[in-house]
This record gives sequence, C-alpha cells and structure tokens, in this order.
Amino acid sequence: MRKIKFFIDFDKEEKWLNKMAKAGYQLESKGFGYKFQQAKPEDTTIKIDYRQFKKKEDFIDYLTLFEDSGWKHIAGTKGSGTQYFIKAEGNSDEDIFSDKHSKAAKYKRLSEMYIQLTICFIPVFAVLVSTDLIDINALYNPKLLYLTEGLWDRSGTDFWKAFLFETPFVIFRTIVWLFIPASILIYLYCSYKANKLYETNK
Amino acid sequence: MNRDKNLPLTETTYYILLSLLEPAHGYIIMQKVEELSDHQVKIAAGTLYGAIENLLKQKLIQSVKSDDKRRKTYVITDAGKEVLRLDYARMQHMITMTKKLLNL
Repeated sequence: MRKIKFFIDFDKEEKWLNKMAKAGYQLESKGFGYKFQQAKPEDTTIKIDYRQFKKKEDFIDYLTLFEDSGWKHIAGTKGSGTQYFIKAEGNSDEDIFSDKHSKAAKYKRLSEMYIQLTICFIPVFAVLVSTDLIDINALYNPKLLYLTEGLWDRSGTDFWKAFLFETPFVIFRTIVWLFIPASILIYLYCSYKANKLYETNK
Repeated sequence: MNRDKNLPLTETTYYILLSLLEPAHGYIIMQKVEELSDHQVKIAAGTLYGAIENLLKQKLIQSVKSDDKRRKTYVITDAGKEVLRLDYARMQHMITMTKKLLNL
C-alpha cells in the first residue's frame, strides 16, 4: 500500500508510523510517499534521524553503529536525508538520541537542507526572469500571458473564440512558470518551520 | 584568565575522550563510556554519531585505519589529551575548594 503524506515534525511522523504498524502496515520504503507492506500488527518503536551522506562508506559506518546498538534501518538512502529505524528485540533504549540537544539538531540539519534548496532555485528563477521566460509583470497583469496579437482589442464571438482557444495554453504556461517561485516559497516555509522546531526542542 | 574554548567538557564528551585513549569504533565507545561512568552515562547511537562528528571537527579525535570495513575507528589526538588534562585540572580545583569549604 502506498500513502502520500508530508511531515516536518518528526515526532508526529514517528507516531503515525507506529500507528500504521499497529494496524498491520509496516514501512517498507520511502520515496515519493510511503510504501507499506502488510505485516502482523505489532507495537513498534520507529525513530527518525535526518542525515545526508556524501560517501558510501560514511553511510555504512553510520548504519552499522545503529545496528550494533539495536536499531534496524528500515528505510532511507545515502542521499535521502530521512533515515528510519525500528527498535530491535533486546534493545533497552527508548530513543536513538540520549540528550535533548542532539535530538533537536536534526531539525537544524533539515532546515539547512531547505535553505540550500532555496539557494539552488534562486539562480534558476533569476535566469528565467532575465531571459523573459518568466514575465514578472504578468503577476499584476494576467492579460500579458495571452500571446495572440490584438486579442484584447477584439470583441464578440471573434474575441471569445480566440480567448478560449488560447486559455489552455496559458494555463499550461502559467503552471510551468509558477512552479519555480512556488517551490522557492514552499522551501523557505519548510526551512522556517524546521528551524522553529529546532528552537523549541533544543 | 584565558580558558581553552572547549572547556568545560560535557560529561558525555569527557567520557568519549577518555574511552578513545585507545582506538575504538562507535559501538565500543558506547560500551566503554557506560563502563567508565559506572553505568551512569548511556549514549544512544544518534547522539554518539553527532558527538563523534563534532569531536572530529574540533580535531580532538581523529580516525585511524582499521581492518573493519563497516566501522570507522577513532583515537584521541594530542589536542584531545590536552583538553582532558585541562578539564581534569578544572574539576580538581572544584573538588579542592568543595572539600575545603564543606569540611569533607
């Protein structure tokens, strides 16, 4: 079963995943959305860390440390950031963190990742604006999005025919063009939220 | 008085440095810290991983070659030993003063 959900608060995500496990759905992988497999319903302790790795050996060393201490890695890849661990039998620890500060620090890393994404998108946005692929003025004046010459001087059926004909193209162009600025705003918002969680938890 | 910027060490950091007087990998560090602290300090995996990362950045520990392909091995550096000595002296002073004033 697949489910699409989005979390910034890892505590809430952990609770949800434990609830799913109790209902008989165990997390199998996380990519775009969560993939679950049917399993025996059980009480689990799933914990999430946030780390990205440049080198494969660093990732293996990290996973081995967790597995040595009784946390089985169930989902996450070298570059995915979110790493999901499930408490193994015989492990007496309740959490993968033993102090408040290190637990909060993962939100700092998450927030920094969103800032980096924002920074990567800003030059793309700037290039699209400077090459006129994105016309900022169209934000105030949507009429500019219609490229048919003299469209706004026409009237009656002639106008409506041309207007309706072009509208689907305009919608498509607008979605493409809104995608980048909307992404920038969403990333900034996520970064702000993650940083707030860092501040309240540290 | 100019105090070393790494002082005072947290209890966790102090024990990690102490346990790295001999080379060890992550899980051994966890066990050693628990043993050295008489089971008072238990470090969880995520916390230890972050602590190792910080100590490497501060150059108080360094990684060393080992046969274990899956686990990195670390050892304390001279700078790390110096910080341990300084923190020891700091605590020694606290103990002396406490003894004196509390008539222990």
